[in-house]
Amino acid sequence: MSEQNLDVVGQSVKRRDGIGHVTGKTVFVDDLRFPDMLYLKMVRSPYHHARIKGIDFSAAEKVPGFVRAFTYKDVPKNIYTILCLIGVGPDEEPVLAEQEVLYKGEQIAAIVAETEEAAMEAVAKTRVDFEELPAVFDVEEALKPGAPILKPWGTNYFVYEGHDCRRIRYGDIEAGFAQADYIVEGRYQPGPVEHAPLETTACIAKPEADGRITVYTNTQALYFTMDNTALILQVPFNKLHFVGGTVGGAFGGKVDVIVEPIATLAAMRTGRPVKYQFTREEEFHVSSTRTAWRIYFRDGVSKDGHIVARQVTSYADSGAYNRHTPYAVTKHAANISGPYTIPNVHVDVHCVYTNRQPSSAMRGFGVTSASFSTELQMDKIARTIGMDPWEIRLINAYRNGDIRPYQKVVEDATLVEAIKGAAKLVGHELPKWAQAMNSWDRGAATPVTVEG
Amino acid sequence: MASKIVTFVLNGRETEVMVKPLTTMQVVLRDKLGYNATKVGCKEGACGTCTILVDGEPMLSCLLPAEDVEGRQVTTLEGLTPVDGLHPLQQAFFDNYATQCGYCTPGMIMVAKALLDHNPSPTREEIVDALSGNLCRCTGYEPIIRAVEVVAEGQDSRRPAMAERRRDKEIVR
Amino acid sequence: MTTKAYNLPESLDEALGMLAQYGSNLLVMAGGTLAMPLITKGVSQPERVMGLRRAGLSYVRETGGSVAIGAATPLTQVVNYKGLPLLPQAAHNIGGWAIRNMGTVGGNLFAPPPAGDLVVALLALDASVKLANARRQRVVPLAGFFSGFMANVLEPDELVVEVQVPRPQGDTALLKLGRLHTDTPTVVGVATRIVWEGRKVKEARVALNGVGPYPMRARKAEAMLVGTALDEAAIAAAAAAAAGECEPFSDPIASEWYRRKMTGVIVSRALAQVAA
Repeated sequence: MSEQNLDVVGQSVKRRDGIGHVTGKTVFVDDLRFPDMLYLKMVRSPYHHARIKGIDFSAAEKVPGFVRAFTYKDVPKNIYTILCLIGVGPDEEPVLAEQEVLYKGEQIAAIVAETEEAAMEAVAKTRVDFEELPAVFDVEEALKPGAPILKPWGTNYFVYEGHDCRRIRYGDIEAGFAQADYIVEGRYQPGPVEHAPLETTACIAKPEADGRITVYTNTQALYFTMDNTALILQVPFNKLHFVGGTVGGAFGGKVDVIVEPIATLAAMRTGRPVKYQFTREEEFHVSSTRTAWRIYFRDGVSKDGHIVARQVTSYADSGAYNRHTPYAVTKHAANISGPYTIPNVHVDVHCVYTNRQPSSAMRGFGVTSASFSTELQMDKIARTIGMDPWEIRLINAYRNGDIRPYQKVVEDATLVEAIKGAAKLVGHELPKWAQAMNSWDRGAATPVTVEG
Repeated sequence: MASKIVTFVLNGRETEVMVKPLTTMQVVLRDKLGYNATKVGCKEGACGTCTILVDGEPMLSCLLPAEDVEGRQVTTLEGLTPVDGLHPLQQAFFDNYATQCGYCTPGMIMVAKALLDHNPSPTREEIVDALSGNLCRCTGYEPIIRAVEVVAEGQDSRRPAMAERRRDKEIVR
Repeated sequence: MTTKAYNLPESLDEALGMLAQYGSNLLVMAGGTLAMPLITKGVSQPERVMGLRRAGLSYVRETGGSVAIGAATPLTQVVNYKGLPLLPQAAHNIGGWAIRNMGTVGGNLFAPPPAGDLVVALLALDASVKLANARRQRVVPLAGFFSGFMANVLEPDELVVEVQVPRPQGDTALLKLGRLHTDTPTVVGVATRIVWEGRKVKEARVALNGVGPYPMRARKAEAMLVGTALDEAAIAAAAAAAAGECEPFSDPIASEWYRRKMTGVIVSRALAQVAA
């Protein structure tokens, strides 16, 4: 099968939406206008942690153009657990805050008005009576006794099958450390990252004559968003018609189903199209970010460069709520030993709640932090024991047939070939023993002491 | 609150709008006139997605009150698109994968047009400098720079894609 | 937005008349790059706004001993003006092309710290500002224009109408440290000018922005340079003095510690450039 006979594989295929993009004709959510459209703006918590004692809309209602205010009492099922569709709980985030807010910017009440300015003014004039509570911002502080407790079940961590963290146990970690010639420790802290798409999160929910609601949205996940919206609004899925797929950048930041449920509710209750778009400030300060991590490595390494024991304790800062972070933690745990075969592995990954902006999905979430830290740790090991960084990776590289720390047999390893290919591309010459390696040969890499 | 009538030339056509004080050109173009190519990204002049040309010079429509363009020539991306086919910059952006989500594209093309009108043979540095006020979160900028170079070099932008990939390999080294 | 009136006066007299009439109830803007974001987002809610694009304040005039730049001159014009050192580069350090087409010379005097990329160069060139109200005009040294964080000596009925730059003597250098190469907030900006007498420094100007409530001259550093040969030791001492006398703050771009440290580094480099 040669390349010339294929129309798509091996060919450069032009984008179907490319002409629309370069002529400016591609339709984004903000390009849609309906004559009787209402604008939704959100009353948000100015505090990191507070109890809500009461809300007073009387001044807001007097703003010309004010139409309606919505609180949690208006939401049919005020539970925002977006992974409930795959059975992941627990239910700990509301669509609109009830008695407590856990992060600065949390949604409390939705105001709908004839113009954007009127909605903003009504939000500014809404009086919320708060009792400020102590807040915690650090993952390790949040797990110490005496830290303010953020979750109704009485802790600041997600429970994984009865444990206080996601755990990997493989081999005998203490025996591994006893065999080691070197102990190499490291602490790595990838920070939170804002996706910063050029187009902010937005949707317009529009009631149709046949009783359905059309929701124009820039979500990355149409079915996921539609199903969650239907569950929150307690309507049959087929009442909703989601239209989208045109996304002005997202990178994982538009999978949180954060605007559609409340906008759709407002459309249903007012009978008019309702637009809810994040401002740039909301996109930065309120929308979820990539998770920040604090990762502690303790590796036992033999003189000849084998990692004989790896112990990792990771803390994921989920922020105020779960969103996608518990899932990220599981992926992180699986990947934190790296693409390396290590006989003794002990991993604890904590999903911790703090009073920070919730973290959620962003390209490769859970795994990028693992790649980042394992590779820095490999370089540190190489420096510590005086070995070449290419070689340390080849010596420990996993092969097909090896067992991963979570008990899966490796079937698809090509790390050795990738390293060799990278070396060739940058003109780095690997020693002969490395050049002779491949991913199907499970024999130990045997560097000879003489460079060759 | 006194509304005013503002008259300007938009994409070659004399245009009249009635505006409340300080209504921005971004609002005028999009909400009043339905010209959606000019985008909304930040409303504070930081992202460049709202870039239009006023008398051939790039300006940020989100910061520009309509009254300030009285009597001026305003050009938007809609004004670049010919009846048939594409403007060379549009073709080059399309052919060179200089657009992914499409949101920065109108602003990028408008600035590129202004650049080439001022300076038909810019160096790569001059292209980068001209485009520095426009953010892109998707492409990593290289394909955009390449698209402008292609037009500046007067090349047929419908080059075979394999040639591109060979060139990209050289960049890695 | 609750703005009830937006006026574009067509002469300086008309602008000053409006200012006299409305005083502090009138928000004055030129390029809009600073005021419009605040108005659009409802942070600033002026009833009346005056724009200066048509008031005849956009010009660059060369007189015998100095260059007069109208306060509403767009920064792009300064980028392209060949008659003075430092200013083209300083203006180019501000924003991107479109921002420079809109933002003005006068506007940079009101840009909140760490901004002031043009002002820092004007300080090193001993610029003055002409202020005017409906009754009279006065000229104030730029170094005396600022009185505190977002505060200056402008009276409520006065406008900044012109920046005056005397034809400078000596060698100059300008360096800006930012997180990115261009279109980036300032971590620290340094503009310097050295006037020589033989091989010794006769006069020194070291201006800083990004490390204080407003762009300022590093007077101690300047004093230490006078009489030296601008050798390594003199540069090191002046850089240390500048780092000590600046008043940096922390913001999302850079911490106070980093700004102070980098002041020493960048002043060093700028002076070394002049010495070379």
